[in-house]
Amino acid sequence: MNSEERISRKLMIAATMLFFKSHRSPGVRGWELKNRLGKNYMKVLELLNHKLNELGLQIKTVFEDESSQDLDRARFYVTLTHPLTMSDLVTSDYRIDEVAALAVALSIIYSRGGKASLRDVLDVLETKFPKWKAETYIERAVRRGYINKTEDEILTVGWRARVELDQKELLKAILEAQPPHEDKAEKDIKEDKAE
Amino acid sequence: MSNKLVKKYSREEIERIISICENIEKRGLDPFSLDVKELLVKLRKMLEENPDLDYYLLDVETIYRIATIIALQHKWLTEKARSLFIDSQLISSRVTVLDKKSIVQAFLKAWRPIISIDQLTSQRLHHGYEHFLNLPPRRDERRYGWKLTEKEAELAQIYLEKEREEVEEKMKVLYDELVEKARGKNDVDYWDFVLRPSLEETYHRAYVLSFLISEGYVEVKKNPLGDELKLVPNTRKVSRKNAASLVISLMGRWR
Repeated sequence: MNSEERISRKLMIAATMLFFKSHRSPGVRGWELKNRLGKNYMKVLELLNHKLNELGLQIKTVFEDESSQDLDRARFYVTLTHPLTMSDLVTSDYRIDEVAALAVALSIIYSRGGKASLRDVLDVLETKFPKWKAETYIERAVRRGYINKTEDEILTVGWRARVELDQKELLKAILEAQPPHEDKAEKDIKEDKAE
Repeated sequence: MSNKLVKKYSREEIERIISICENIEKRGLDPFSLDVKELLVKLRKMLEENPDLDYYLLDVETIYRIATIIALQHKWLTEKARSLFIDSQLISSRVTVLDKKSIVQAFLKAWRPIISIDQLTSQRLHHGYEHFLNLPPRRDERRYGWKLTEKEAELAQIYLEKEREEVEEKMKVLYDELVEKARGKNDVDYWDFVLRPSLEETYHRAYVLSFLISEGYVEVKKNPLGDELKLVPNTRKVSRKNAASLVISLMGRWR
């Protein structure tokens, strides 16, 4: 096997490991990649990342402990590089109501330093959804790994949110989003000016 | 009487401080809502008024709780800096006035979902099929027509006998090696004994060793304070009266 074939084979192994869910949750640990790809596994990942970027995908590294940045214990995932559109969401497994509830819950948790009580989150959600729906959406977010719920009914950021979400971007986007009546008011002003 | 009343009040005061600290820690409340400096002054005053052991013990716990609050204040500041010091009330009121679609659009800007494959590939399907063929039949299945021919039963018996002999031979070799290693000392470290450069060999040694342990030729001693595991070879087979399972994970040990 020449070196090109060897690299290509390693790329295939890395792609299979990263894409295929071999545990209950997706993602592979650094040491698992090291076992299969050898000690230069980061170079293989870099090469694969380059190829995935062309397809709008990227390899994301999430450290178990941000301060130590231990690659062997870190988890590696494949995520999208670009944001989804509303039409992408319609064809996905998620309902718009569910995503809205998730966005509300996570933005409250983030804004309170990573912890918020379930009651506080439900109070906000219940302004938009019936109680049973709000509770269902929270439970679903917990099951999907976006939110952790403790026995004391405290919500914290889940593993999936740590991988998939940009905290700053979410809070910024929520603050910048225009409420519907503001849009209408702006439209009215524009119409007045046009007249 | 009045002294007793002062003491009771002070103790309650300290317990109240501990409970406030616990509440902040558990419920994720703002740790800056507590005036640490004032608390420490109060604590010192109370301790001066009641210099006995009970109060010293309470004082230790309170100081620990206050230290936790200071650590939380540090974490809180870091988190706030990370979230651009956005006030939680502002976010709550903002999401209340926004419609669902705007919230979802904001979320989509920050969301990069994980891509993974849940379905089987044809290769995996083939592996699964092969595995199924190699599975031994369940007892109930035999009742529904699955039967071994006499020849097959005879072959299976020979195969099992051969396998048993092989395992016994390997157990003997490993036992002799363990006895040799334990000579002159009481025990041998489990990981020193089991770990080998290749993963296959390591698994194999752990596998054969598990038979020696189950059969009573070797004892395992686990240090409850650490993760130390020691192997002690018995001079003869010991019958187990209270057998218990011990799970030993190779994960993280073998790299």
